[in-house]
Amino acid sequence: MNELLNSFDRRRRVFLNLLLVLVFLFSLTAIKWNEDLFHPGGGVMIVQILKSVLHPALSIDIIYLALEATWITLVYAVIGMSLAIVYGFIVGTLASGILIKNPLLKKVSIPFFRGILSFTRAIHELVWAWLFVASFGLTPYAAIFALAIPYGGILGRILADALNDVPVEPIQALKAAGASRFHCLIYGYLPSVWTTMISYTLYRFECSIRSSTIMSFVGLGGLGYQIQLSLADLKFDEVWIFLFFLVLLVVLVDLWSVLLRRSINSFSSNLFSTKRASIIIICLLVSTSWYHVIFMQQANFLQLFSSENVHYAQKFFVGMLGINEHPPAYLAWINWKNAIGLTWETLVMSILAIGFATFVSLLTVIPASRNFANGSLTLKRSIWQWIAFGLIRISYIFSRAVPELIWAMMIIFIFQPGLLPGALALALHNFGILGKLCAEVIEEMDEKAIRNLAASGASKGQMLLYGVLPTVMPKFLSFIFYRWEVIMRTTIVVGFIGAGGLGQEFKLSMSFFHYSDITLLLICYLILVLIADFFSEWFRKAAK
Amino acid sequence: MTTSTILEVKNLSKSFERKISISSLSFSVEKGEKIAIIGPSGAGKTTLFNLLTGTLPLEVGEILIDGQLIEYWQRKKLLADKIGIIRQQFDLVESLPVIQNVLVGRLKDWGFLKSLWSFIFPQDKQIAYQALKRVGIEDKMHVRTSTLSGGEQQRVALARLLVQKPEVILADEPVSSLDPARSKDILNMLTKLADEEKQTLITTLHSVEYAKQYFTRIIALKKGQLYFDLPSEEVTNTLLEDLYRLKELNEDE
Repeated sequence: MNELLNSFDRRRRVFLNLLLVLVFLFSLTAIKWNEDLFHPGGGVMIVQILKSVLHPALSIDIIYLALEATWITLVYAVIGMSLAIVYGFIVGTLASGILIKNPLLKKVSIPFFRGILSFTRAIHELVWAWLFVASFGLTPYAAIFALAIPYGGILGRILADALNDVPVEPIQALKAAGASRFHCLIYGYLPSVWTTMISYTLYRFECSIRSSTIMSFVGLGGLGYQIQLSLADLKFDEVWIFLFFLVLLVVLVDLWSVLLRRSINSFSSNLFSTKRASIIIICLLVSTSWYHVIFMQQANFLQLFSSENVHYAQKFFVGMLGINEHPPAYLAWINWKNAIGLTWETLVMSILAIGFATFVSLLTVIPASRNFANGSLTLKRSIWQWIAFGLIRISYIFSRAVPELIWAMMIIFIFQPGLLPGALALALHNFGILGKLCAEVIEEMDEKAIRNLAASGASKGQMLLYGVLPTVMPKFLSFIFYRWEVIMRTTIVVGFIGAGGLGQEFKLSMSFFHYSDITLLLICYLILVLIADFFSEWFRKAAK
Repeated sequence: MTTSTILEVKNLSKSFERKISISSLSFSVEKGEKIAIIGPSGAGKTTLFNLLTGTLPLEVGEILIDGQLIEYWQRKKLLADKIGIIRQQFDLVESLPVIQNVLVGRLKDWGFLKSLWSFIFPQDKQIAYQALKRVGIEDKMHVRTSTLSGGEQQRVALARLLVQKPEVILADEPVSSLDPARSKDILNMLTKLADEEKQTLITTLHSVEYAKQYFTRIIALKKGQLYFDLPSEEVTNTLLEDLYRLKELNEDE
C-alpha cells in the first residue's frame, strides 16, 4: 500500500495533468454534437467571411471611417488607463500597507483595500459599463469609468504585490538614515518597482484598446461600433478593414512596449531617446485624448450629477436591492435554482474555452518558437520551419488582437446560440495569447540541456518529450490557469450576444428591467470568479 | 593493451563570425587512453567538444571515429554509441526525476512509443538502478534532479554515461564548479569507470595539477592551435607558464 502511495506521489504531476484532460473531455459532453449546432446557412457564411479577406473594402471612405474609429478607440483607451493609473496607484499603495505604522490599523486596512481592488477587478469592464449606463445614462463617462475601475483594480493589485516583494534591506537602510515612510516610498519602494510597473502598465494599455473596442456594445463609437454596423449589414469586406486597423493598433502598442522595455533595461545613449520619445508620446496622447472628450464630445462631468441622473441612479440601485419587490429575486429559491444552473453552464463554457485554446496553442507552440525555427533547439534546419513560424505567429497576433466579443459576433453567424459559440469565441482570443506566452517560455529555455539530449542520441520527438516538455510544462500550466481566470471573467460578456450562461440571462434581465435578478446573477458571477481564482491558486501549488 | 586508433582529428578549423576558434588542429587518440586537454579560456576547448559530439556542424577538416567519418555515424544515428559527453553545468533536465535523466542514456535504443511509455512508467529500471549504485546515489533515484547538490548532479550525469556506454567519453570541465574534495572524488570515479568499461576518456580541465595527477597524456590548446601534445610526465613548468602567459612576447610564434 505504501509502495502504491509512493508510486502515486512520484507521478503526481502526470496524474494532475491527466485529471485536467479528463475534466476537459467531460465538458465536451455538455454539448449536443449534431447538425443543430450550425445555422442552416452557416457553411455558406464561413465561405463568404473567408472569401472577403481576399478583397477587403479598400475605398477612401471606409479607410477614413476606419481611421476616425481607430482614433476614438485609442482616445477612450488612453483616458480609461490614465484614470486607472491614478486609482490603482492610490489604492494599490494603501493596500500594500507600507505607509501605515500602527499594526492594528494595518491589519484592518490591508484586507479592506485589497478587498476593494479584488472586487473592482472581478467584474468585467463591460458589466461595469452596463451598470453605469443603467444608472447614469449613455455618457462617455460610463465607458471611461467602466474601463478605469477594473483596470485600476488589477494595476493596484500588481503594484501592491510588487511593493510587498521589495527587499527589506535597502528600506531599512533608508529608515536608519532618518527617512520618513513617505520618503521610503519615493526613494526606496517606487524605484524598485518602477520597471515592472511600466511594462505591466503597457501590457494593460494594449488590453485596454481591446476593451475600448467592445465598449461599442454600450453605445460608444469607435472600431467596435463600426464592426458591429458592418456585421449587421453582412458587409464582411468592411469588417476586415476595421479588424486590420484594430490589429495594427494593437501591434503598434505592442511594438512600442517592446522598444520601451528594451530601452529601460539598457543604458546606451542611443536608446535613451526611446524613453524621451515615449514620455512625449504619453503626454501628447493623454492631453489630446482628454481634450477630445471634454471639448469635442462635450462630455460634461458635472452633468452626471444632474437631478434627472440622480433619479435614474436611485431607481436603478433600489431596483437592484429589490426594495419594492416581494421577495426580491435573490431571496427566492426558484430564482437561485435557475441561476445555479446557469452558473454551471458558464463554468462548463469556460472549461471548454480554455481546453480548446490550450489544445490549439500546444499543437502550434513548438514551431512558433524562434529557437525551433532557426534550428538551434533540435539542430535541424529547414525553410519550412521558418514558414510555419511566420504563419503561426501571424495567427497568434490576429487571435489576441481581436477581443472575445468581436469573435463571438462573427461566430454567431455560423453557429446556433449556445455554449459552443461562446467557448469558441473565448478560445479564439486566448489561443494566440497562450501560444505567445508559451513560445516565449520555450525561447527563454536553457537549450544546453536539450542539446545534450541530442548528444546522447535522442531523436526529435524524444527531445521534446524528455527535454522541452518537463522544462516548460509547469510554466505552461500556470499560464493556462491564469488565462482560465481571465476567461471566467469574460464568459459573462460573450453570453450577452447569445452564448448562453449567466451573461445571456444578465442581458435579458437588463432589457426587462429586472434589476434584482441582476443582483442575483452578479452574486453568482462573483462566486464563480472567486472559485476560479482560488482553484487555480491551489492547482499551481499542487503541481509544484 | 592493443593499440588501435579510436579518434582522429585532421586539420580541423572552426570560426564564428570572423573570430577563429580552432585552426588546423590535428591529433589522434588510441583506444583506452586518458587525455586531459588544457589551455587558457577561449582556447577552443569547448568548441572542439561541440564539434566532436556533432552539436556544431563541421566545416573545415575531418573527424574520424573508429575509422569512419563522423558524418557516417551521424547518418546511421550511432554517434551516441561512439561518443558521450558529460559537462559541469546545464547537463541535466532539472525538472525531471533522477531516474529519467539516467534513462536518457537509453533513448538512443528506444523508439518513440517506448520513450513515451517510459516517461510515465520508467523502463529498464534495473539498468538505471545499477548505474546509480555504481556512482553511490541509488537512494536518490526518484528525487527531482533540481533538488540535488552540484556533486550529486555530476554523479547523475556519470550514471547516465554508464547507461549510454559510449566508446569515448568527453568530459567538458567536469569539476570546474566543485570544491577540491568533490573534484577529486568525481575525477577518481570518472577515471575508474572509464578503466572498468575500457572506455577512452578525454577531459578538458582548468587545473593543470589534476591533469598531471589523473591523466596520462596532456594536449594543450592556445588560440585554437595545438600548443603541445605530451605524456603527462614530460610537461614542464616552463611549458605551462608559456601556455598561460597573458601577453604574447612574440606574436609570430
